[in-house]
Amino acid sequence: MNSAKQFRAAVIIGYMLSITWLRRNLLSLVWLFATPFSLLFIITVTTGGRSFPLGVIGSLLLVLSTVGTGLAGDATWYRLETKLQDFFVASPVNQLGYLLGIAFAGLFFASPALVVLLPLLVYIGLPLFTLPLVLLSLVGVWLFSSAIGYLVSTFTSNLRNGWQSGLLLSVLVGILPPVFYPAEILPRNILIVTYAIPTTNAALLIRDAMGGTPTLPYWSPLTGWILIILSLAIALAVTSRVARWRQP
Amino acid sequence: MNAIEAVSLSKIYHRSKTQALSDITLTIGRGEIFTLLGRNGAGKTTFLRIAATQLMPTKGRISVLGHDVRDEPLEIRSKIAVVPQEGSTIGPLTPWDHIYLTLIARGLSRNEARQRAEKTIAQLELLEYRNQPADSLSGGLRQRVRVAMAVATDADFIFLDEPTLGLDAVSRRRIWGVLNEIQKEGRSILLTTHYIDEAEILSNNVAIIDRGRLVVSGSPAELLRNVKERVRVDIVGSSFSPEELKSYGRVVKLAERFRVLTDDRRGKELADEAVRRGSDVALARVSLEDLFVDLVGRVEE
Repeated sequence: MNSAKQFRAAVIIGYMLSITWLRRNLLSLVWLFATPFSLLFIITVTTGGRSFPLGVIGSLLLVLSTVGTGLAGDATWYRLETKLQDFFVASPVNQLGYLLGIAFAGLFFASPALVVLLPLLVYIGLPLFTLPLVLLSLVGVWLFSSAIGYLVSTFTSNLRNGWQSGLLLSVLVGILPPVFYPAEILPRNILIVTYAIPTTNAALLIRDAMGGTPTLPYWSPLTGWILIILSLAIALAVTSRVARWRQP
Repeated sequence: MNAIEAVSLSKIYHRSKTQALSDITLTIGRGEIFTLLGRNGAGKTTFLRIAATQLMPTKGRISVLGHDVRDEPLEIRSKIAVVPQEGSTIGPLTPWDHIYLTLIARGLSRNEARQRAEKTIAQLELLEYRNQPADSLSGGLRQRVRVAMAVATDADFIFLDEPTLGLDAVSRRRIWGVLNEIQKEGRSILLTTHYIDEAEILSNNVAIIDRGRLVVSGSPAELLRNVKERVRVDIVGSSFSPEELKSYGRVVKLAERFRVLTDDRRGKELADEAVRRGSDVALARVSLEDLFVDLVGRVEE
């Protein structure tokens, strides 16, 4: 199958594993709303509303990174329980098509939360003309997280480890980096380490787009973009070389 | 060109240090239904997964439809479909979702996918369940959905790993019918099963694998032609002493019955004697199951 057909396959797999699922099981949305909106609520009330914009940025990035890193559990389930991965390995769909498909499923699951959070971001000050670039950085976060989540899943030998790995990755990518709080408060050495995580750069780029350009060591919007692209390229390259599509 | 040509194929699972396949040389013809038989852990699934490009071999060579599994997996994958062992359906998706959407994902047009999905749903008697969530269906129906996902494809070669496991007799026969229809279309099928009657009825050829080694292969009729003990006599009850039975042939105890495996003449003599003594008796040709048990693990004698 050529690239266009692989992309079509990815959209269909994504649709199959999310929209058809959601149509019959709306309860699946609850978990995705629960954590980011709880954090948004806590941050807003504990700062008297001052950190509400940071809360919205953090929630947005947490939703997108969680549906990606969550593949560590979901893809383990597709591989070990449903054997869907085996089904697609022995088919014209290639690894990238499959990975993109299950990543789309996560994105489609996240779409109701995005429908709330993106307009909210514009409402609290994101200029509309910056939206395409912001969306691009969000796509980078989603793809990076999905590649990492999928990669981990192919090495996971049981379902429980898969879910737990997903939770751990979600904390490492979506909660601990400076997405819900200002990067400026981090010690310099730790801050520099967090530059390697695309959620950090996406959060800083969104703040920059909203007019609050962060003044941080070794960081500028250009650096942020380079780091997002670099980390995504590395994640995709490592995943395509190391992930176990065919078992050794 | 054969459907599969395996030469000295071996597989070692390094993590568990298990030799799953050892020096298997096997040919499967195009358009055949070929069945792999073996006890649990014999290596059937390992062979199937290697051929289906899901697992790398350790040593040896294997080609599928003329393409090497190591070097040309993409060429193979465009021509095959698989029913993996012991999988499950996906949550609330309906049988229609499972079949139709996976066909489109494999690259079929909507129209062709619809036609194939409708035909397969009818063939596998899933019509009344087609729009029900799979997680509300019985285990047997869910298994039929999984089988449908592979047999509905236009693949030249279909791999089925224990496709009838847990199905009732009627459902099994329904699947056999579908596999026969696929074969009539000129497509090849590689099957693993624990149901030896299934292998005997369906297969053009079978291979018996034991602890990773090929024990024997050929058509069921050929294999049975070459056995020494051509008939079996089943006797219920204790009208014969074990010593008496042993004088007629090899004795196998199966729950409350004795099975004596012997030649035609002695078998008839024993059956006649059992009738005279008023025992329940059945005389029949040996089956593939008798051969299988004989080759891979004799039961209590």
